[in-house]
Amino acid sequence: MLPNPFTPRFLSQLEALRLRTRKEFLGSHTGSYSSPRRGTSLEFADYRRYAPGDDLRYLDWGIYARTDKLYVKLFREEVDLFAYVFIDASASMGYPSRELKYLPATHVGLALSYVILANHDHVKLHLLQERSGTKATPFYRGRRRMSDCVNFAAAATPSGALQLAPALGDHLKKMRRPGKAILLSDFLMPASSYETGLNLLRAFNLDIAAIQILSRHEIDPRFPNGSLALIDSETEQEIKYKWNADARRDYQAKLAHHNAELRSFCHQGGIHYSLYVTDRDLSDFVFATLPAIGLFK
Amino acid sequence: MEFLNPAALFGLLALPVLLIPYLIRRKSQRMAFSSLLLFLESSEAASSKFWGRINLPPIFFLQLLLLALLIIALSEPVFSIHPTNIAVILDNSASMQALEDEKSRFTLAKERASALVSELGAGGKVDLFMTTPRLEKLHGAPLSPAEATRLIATQVPYDLAEPPVDYDNMISQLARQQKYERVYLITDHPARGQSAAARVITVGRPHANFALTALEIQRSSLANARLEALVEVANYSERDEKLKIILKGSGIELANRVIDVGKGKTTTVSFEGFADHPTYAAEIANRDALPLDNRRFAVAPGSRNLRVLGITPRPRDLESLKAIPGVQIDTVAPSEYDKAERSGYALEIYHFATPAALPANAALFILPPQSSSIVDLGAAINNVTISNWRDPHVLTRYINFNLFRPTFARPLKPQTAGDIILDSAGGPLAFATERQGVRYLTLGFDPLPYLGRDNLPMSVFTLNLLDWFFDSRGANNQATGEAIFLGKVQSGDRVILPGGKSLTITPGAAFFGGAFFQGIYQLNRGGKTELFARNLFDRGESDLQVSAPLPIGGNQNSPSASLLFSFWPYILMACIALLLLEWFLSPHMTARGRWHSPARVAQRS
Repeated sequence: MLPNPFTPRFLSQLEALRLRTRKEFLGSHTGSYSSPRRGTSLEFADYRRYAPGDDLRYLDWGIYARTDKLYVKLFREEVDLFAYVFIDASASMGYPSRELKYLPATHVGLALSYVILANHDHVKLHLLQERSGTKATPFYRGRRRMSDCVNFAAAATPSGALQLAPALGDHLKKMRRPGKAILLSDFLMPASSYETGLNLLRAFNLDIAAIQILSRHEIDPRFPNGSLALIDSETEQEIKYKWNADARRDYQAKLAHHNAELRSFCHQGGIHYSLYVTDRDLSDFVFATLPAIGLFK
Repeated sequence: MEFLNPAALFGLLALPVLLIPYLIRRKSQRMAFSSLLLFLESSEAASSKFWGRINLPPIFFLQLLLLALLIIALSEPVFSIHPTNIAVILDNSASMQALEDEKSRFTLAKERASALVSELGAGGKVDLFMTTPRLEKLHGAPLSPAEATRLIATQVPYDLAEPPVDYDNMISQLARQQKYERVYLITDHPARGQSAAARVITVGRPHANFALTALEIQRSSLANARLEALVEVANYSERDEKLKIILKGSGIELANRVIDVGKGKTTTVSFEGFADHPTYAAEIANRDALPLDNRRFAVAPGSRNLRVLGITPRPRDLESLKAIPGVQIDTVAPSEYDKAERSGYALEIYHFATPAALPANAALFILPPQSSSIVDLGAAINNVTISNWRDPHVLTRYINFNLFRPTFARPLKPQTAGDIILDSAGGPLAFATERQGVRYLTLGFDPLPYLGRDNLPMSVFTLNLLDWFFDSRGANNQATGEAIFLGKVQSGDRVILPGGKSLTITPGAAFFGGAFFQGIYQLNRGGKTELFARNLFDRGESDLQVSAPLPIGGNQNSPSASLLFSFWPYILMACIALLLLEWFLSPHMTARGRWHSPARVAQRS
């Protein structure tokens, strides 16, 4: 049973999309993504001198006519893609509720997964959670595995505090194939923490897309004016805070600055970045925003 | 500066309570948030400030000042002028003998009195009063401070209960009549309130105490020579006590017993089978705050022979009483009564006779022919049925009143205070009264002759009434302060007080009224010695835990008020001014709708 946004119309629209990668990977099967190897695709790559045994069909007769030398045309190899979707399932993803933040985040991840599955590529979902070990699915391929992805994502409940880099490290240790990494998180952590985590993904030669998930309550908190005892959902740290219009403006400015720093870091590192506010329409985000940042071909 | 109501100053301790509404109002609302990353900087800056958590507004300090001023106004501060003409009333009741750290309360009271007197200048005038046996001035003309100090030093407390006095009224009367600028009462009672004229100085504090509240030495009955002692012990403390009670006869220990007395309880312990002694004493061996009430004295009960003088026109009926063991009876005709020698008789029975005046001995009046100062007589009735009787009472014990049927009776109409022992449809038939320690019983029927088993209910009643008169002869439970009746006094008769001091009795004196100390009094009269016991007989003096506060200050119309300048009304006015200031300083109160100005209400309507 697919969740609400995944209507037949939405799914058919997703099938028309293909992920774009900025790197070439060695695939296992023939696919639609270019590989560093030479192969039999239609995309021309280079020439080399003819050697006995070469297929005569690839001789460039035009060059032979002009230069009286035999050259054969080389083509790129096109392979399938291995994609990794990392979903942050820490306690902060459950604020203000699981339904208002975590599930919308999984919907983004599932939409991207469906795009991958519909193109006969491989997708693997990872949950980033404290004390969860390396909770991940096997590689799925084909549309029919969509329900497995949904079950995996929907079964989790956000909890615990998350250290991004160590959690990613645990998953990356078991990774054998490079590919596309999609990280879904609120990134409400110190810059040093997410920088370390994203650099770790880059070190594994992954083409990275970072999608920041925030709820409307985080963009524009609606606290009652006055003295508040704010409690961190992950660390349960409690602080006193005097909330008023000035404090609200101050918070929003800090959040904008924090997001700008994240975006800047992603751009400098060749990482696709986008912000998804969970009360926004999912299809609008997938079909308008994500293509705009170059995530889809 | 003094405070007329200093207890109100304890209200200052409650000032921190004012913080509570501010703390409650400022209690943070707990809210969860996904991450506090973006809040941390500014919140840390706030909590590191001194008083940052409470952050009291200036209006709080205004309210604090307002509250403090109100409390001070309630304590009624006055500027007083030093008085020069004072009266000092010393409480010398028994409870003032209680010990406070090795010093008695009375000693402390004397020290305080001396200090007060010494504070007066050389021209000061002092009058000294004592509270017991009655409030009385100790001297004639006003004393100088030096004379007063000397007189105070010679005073001793009495073993007497405090008389019931309205001190507030009495002090204001003294101040008004004698023109005292101030009257000091030094007592062990706490005071409630103060007035301009009166100052109560309280010495002592509550103490645990135990006391002997009764000692009775008596024979089991008229026919039984065996002595028994009943000792009542009270425990005025907050815990159960194990007390050792010692019974002494003529100073020699006769018996002792250890008993448990629960807190606030009274227990009776009895001793039996001890030898005859002229005097007895019971003691509590344990130490406590008031040693006075740990001893109690009694004299031996009278001999078991009851000498009766019968005044009757029908002597045979009275002589039937000789059938009772221990009863000796002499009879005289009513006409010869005045000539008869009545000394030595324990009881006089007037059988169909009435004396001209009440006799000094205990007396039984049987069907008196004339009305007396005790009773009037009603119309004669026959076949009387007893409708009501006093129970329990010595006179009615062991009697089956269904069988108690006097054939003839004249109902009585009591003319004085006393107890109606037997009542019938026609009126009272037995009336008992007591005057100056002497018992009188008037019967409206004739229980004589004594028929023994042939008329058992009437015989039991006769024995009961003889026992009742017999009991009265010991007079063991007389209280200190009660007079000792002397009878006929001759020149040279003396009374020896418990302390050994001997006083000569003035010939013609009817009684000795100076029995203010507990112990055995010895009356040497005509070569014979009679012993009398007097004991402190007031539980209120022994209970040192609870002391009733004296209400002072109700009577304000004394001239001494002019010595004081009260400025608390000015403080009250300052409070009102501060209240108005607060009204203007805190406009947010009206803005939030808690208070509404009249203008705003009008605007709304």
